Amino acid sequence: MRGLIDRLRGVERDIVQAPDAGDGPYYEPQGSEVAIFEAAWRRRLPVMLKGPTGCGKTRFLEYMAHRLGRPLVSVSCHEDLTSADLVGRFLLEGESTVWQDGPLTRAVKAGAICYLDEIVEARTDSTVIIHPLTDHRRRLPLEKRGLEIEAHEDFLLVISYNPGYQTVLKDLKPSTKQRFVAISFHYPSADIEARIIQNEVPGVSPQLAGDLVAIAHKARALKDHGLDEASSTRSLVYAASLIAAGLDPLAAGLAALVSPLTDDIELERALREIVKAHLDAA
Amino acid sequence: MSADDPAVRLALVRRELEQLSFVAHRDLCAALPAIEPHGAEQTARWAETGRDLFLHDREAGKAFLRASPGLAHAAACIDIWTEQARSFLGIRGSWKALTAYLAAWAEVVAVLGPDDGRAFAQAGIGWMRQGVEAGEIFFQTPVADWADGRGYEGVREILDPLTELAVTRAVPPGLALRGAITVRGLLGPGALVPWLTRGADILKSGRLRGEAFFRLEGPESEEALAAILPGFKTSDHERFLTLFVRAACGFTPALAPRGLALGRPAFIETDGRTLFVPPAFPSSEHALAAFLHHAGHLRFGTYDGAAIARLFREAGMEHPPLDAEQRITWRPLFALFGDDLLRFQALFDLCEDLRVDARVQALVPNHIPRLLRLAHERPAGPAAAYFDMARTTLASLMGGRGVPPPWTELLAADADLVTSWRLARALYKDGHLPALAIPDRDHLYLPGRSPNHQRPVYPRSAARPEGPETDEQEGGAVAESAATRPAPVSPGQDPDMEIPPEDTSGSGGRVGVGRPQPAQTARRLRRLAPAGAGIPYPEWDYRDQAYRRDWTRVIERDLSERDGACAAALLARHGNVLARLKRAIQAEKPRRLTPVRRQREGEELDLDAVVEYVADRRTGARPEPAIYRRRQVTRRDTAVLLLADLSTSIMQPLEDGSGRVVDRMKAALLLFAKGLESLGDPYAIAGFASKYRDAVSYYPIKDFGQTLTADTEAVLGGLSGRLATRMGAAIRHASARLRSAPGGRRLLLILSDGRPADYDDGGDERYLHEDTRMAVKEAQDAGVHAFCITLDAQGGPYLERIFGRGHFLVVGGLDELPRRLPEVYLRLRKGAA
Repeated sequence: MRGLIDRLRGVERDIVQAPDAGDGPYYEPQGSEVAIFEAAWRRRLPVMLKGPTGCGKTRFLEYMAHRLGRPLVSVSCHEDLTSADLVGRFLLEGESTVWQDGPLTRAVKAGAICYLDEIVEARTDSTVIIHPLTDHRRRLPLEKRGLEIEAHEDFLLVISYNPGYQTVLKDLKPSTKQRFVAISFHYPSADIEARIIQNEVPGVSPQLAGDLVAIAHKARALKDHGLDEASSTRSLVYAASLIAAGLDPLAAGLAALVSPLTDDIELERALREIVKAHLDAA
Repeated sequence: MSADDPAVRLALVRRELEQLSFVAHRDLCAALPAIEPHGAEQTARWAETGRDLFLHDREAGKAFLRASPGLAHAAACIDIWTEQARSFLGIRGSWKALTAYLAAWAEVVAVLGPDDGRAFAQAGIGWMRQGVEAGEIFFQTPVADWADGRGYEGVREILDPLTELAVTRAVPPGLALRGAITVRGLLGPGALVPWLTRGADILKSGRLRGEAFFRLEGPESEEALAAILPGFKTSDHERFLTLFVRAACGFTPALAPRGLALGRPAFIETDGRTLFVPPAFPSSEHALAAFLHHAGHLRFGTYDGAAIARLFREAGMEHPPLDAEQRITWRPLFALFGDDLLRFQALFDLCEDLRVDARVQALVPNHIPRLLRLAHERPAGPAAAYFDMARTTLASLMGGRGVPPPWTELLAADADLVTSWRLARALYKDGHLPALAIPDRDHLYLPGRSPNHQRPVYPRSAARPEGPETDEQEGGAVAESAATRPAPVSPGQDPDMEIPPEDTSGSGGRVGVGRPQPAQTARRLRRLAPAGAGIPYPEWDYRDQAYRRDWTRVIERDLSERDGACAAALLARHGNVLARLKRAIQAEKPRRLTPVRRQREGEELDLDAVVEYVADRRTGARPEPAIYRRRQVTRRDTAVLLLADLSTSIMQPLEDGSGRVVDRMKAALLLFAKGLESLGDPYAIAGFASKYRDAVSYYPIKDFGQTLTADTEAVLGGLSGRLATRMGAAIRHASARLRSAPGGRRLLLILSDGRPADYDDGGDERYLHEDTRMAVKEAQDAGVHAFCITLDAQGGPYLERIFGRGHFLVVGGLDELPRRLPEVYLRLRKGAA
């Protein structure tokens, strides 16, 4: 077992990996998202995950990949990401050239689930190349090689995007959006979120988990009132982890739930009061 | 016997007075037995003083002689006041001051002792030399008030600044004395000098205003006192407190200043909609406790219409008719208790407060501990019993043993106002708490709590199931928010009247001011503007789910008002914001040139591109030789059109009285223009207003091609509000204009202060909402991104429906707007980079 873990950590791995055996990642379903995804998967319809930062989109996908037994290839998109970064390019090797597949091509060939995270960040040319993959053709054109790849029958394209006001100007094109089956994510309900915290950070008392969730719910009421991003489930898990690591609850709450969210002094004070209400000398 | 002999002098005075006045002579004789024990010399001097005063002014002399026996008894000496009384001789009309002096002297000596007393009186005589009235006021003011329990030191605190002000600023000292004593009592001696200085300034600019200021009357006095008020100032922390309540209780409270109630505790009052907050709280903890408590009242049904109706039934009364503003008064309920109503009110509040605080505690776990922590100063008198009861019940909530029996009823999940009423009646019948007088009422509440029925209330509709999203309730159920209420416009300054008649064509000039009155005007027979005037646009009718073709007409007009001075003043006033903004823009501009990859020419090779190029060549392809990397300034190609809502409501005065909403908008637009000018993005500014569907005015203020000139700034400085807000038509026109703008990304930034509405929307809010939503959608389809910045704190729910989630921003404090507007644009633009 030890050897297996060493093999996995700090060691290069190919990006296309069949999921490990075992329990798989922890995920707490919030609604019908598992059913929707499975139905989309059965019909191989591309899926779009919408929702705010840190609400569990990536975790959900890891969970689904494990559940369906398919490898998952994730690509975090950024503003310099070109289509060649996704599809592949020629490289020089000695006196000859070799073609190297990009992650998308690998996934298409291997029948993996390819996850393009925050697709709006990528350059527009990269959003266009996914079009033929998302309709009945299910093909990936490799222009440079003059080829076209018929996608493996198990290939599934998943994208995520987070509608928020910073991205007003680079919303996905409607023509791109309507090619996907969308699953909307929100922050989980209070009891589910508390359960998630207790699961992610063993040893956290139900009381503390409840307090953290209550803080998050209050902070989320400030979204669009100055707060661009609300407290995510992830940040709650961070706060719980800091507390589990021995940090004073108030300090942990401020470090994980307040300071990262805002630089606005008054907003910070309001959040600080909320954190204090729940964690100070509880 | 020489003429200097005291006995001779006394006899002389007696004879003279006898001839002059029967009364004076009688008073002199009556006083002599009290005076003579002080020696013949002093007696003679005293008698001469009496005579001289009598000759100077009959009233003064009589007053002196009449007061003498009392003074001789009380003060154990006669020389000081006899000599000081002589000082009144040189001044005309001084008898009133002298009377006051004589009346005060005994107390002066008692409080200050003879030496300080003499100095004190001497200062008063000094004042009198400047004006008889000042002297009179000086001596009429009880010396205990002057001294404030600290002897002559206390006197000096008041005396010195007033005397100095009289010299340096020619402020009549008598004018400010009473106010100064009050201000010191409330705010401490440190507040005196700033208060007096401000008063001197005001007095200089207007006598009546200054006098009102020193009498502690009028808005200027309140403002000045609020500014020097010690403690946690509400106006400085309004946004913090609002955000806190929003986070804690799930809704944004509407706030209004309650005004200064000097000497009374910092009570929040409410009318069921708005929290009327005092200018300051003793500390931030007090403020937090009070805000939470009162937000709790709003959230947990103290002013719920149905509960109030049940309460009246319970009390066996008809629900009284609502007043003209649809508010309900509590008076009939409390009238049941006759003279003892204060006792019942206190008990009723106590029960209801406990109920509410218990509910708030469930949301905010440190609420009750905070209340208990603040409740350390037990009041004196009958209020103490109530205070104790409130504290004990709260403490028992937090203690492990739970609340004793009668109180548990309040903690039941279905407890409401009626539960509190019943319990209060039971406690009232028990009758073991003492009766109260009105002054006690201020002290029986724990800090943070306050009387619940101070104002008539707008009954709220039934609370919705609890959840963090209670904004809906704010916007929908509580009939109309502050922002949509008609703007209070004084008759002389009706902006609608200042609009050229062609703008108001159709119904003879004025219609309703501000928010249009609901009326079935959609089908109203009104002559439309002649065809051809204006650009026609369709409008979406949700009832038919169809467009009405060419339904609206947008007419482009120029704004005629110019106010360059105002623009310059605003820019100067927000100079530091502008400086900060410019720094932010500098940071925004890439200081170092960013590398651009895959160029046909450039200063270095792009390694990735080279490898790809060479490889492609080897494979026989003919790739483009774009293998260089070049550093250059990347031009961000965002074009923005800022569309400002110029409807009447922006003429609303700000709550703190420092101008109008439009002033902040002007400042925001000016800063925006300045900022964009230095940023270099193509931008345009326009305004809109409407009156009926065929007269939507669109005011281009600055076009994309133009640069910002002094004239443009003057137009911005001269902006004013007019008419209504037909947003859909304006958006359609603006996005048509924007489509011709340079730039790859097009942003339509809408600055508004309320919901879309027009005179002919028939009172159906949804109609223009839906149309605006469609207009935004059309713009989106045409590649124009619309984003709304609103000043309407309750705008969240409807804006989300119109613009979509994340496509709007509520700017809470108006003061923030000038800073926030350019910032928001920078954020939007950064996201797009």
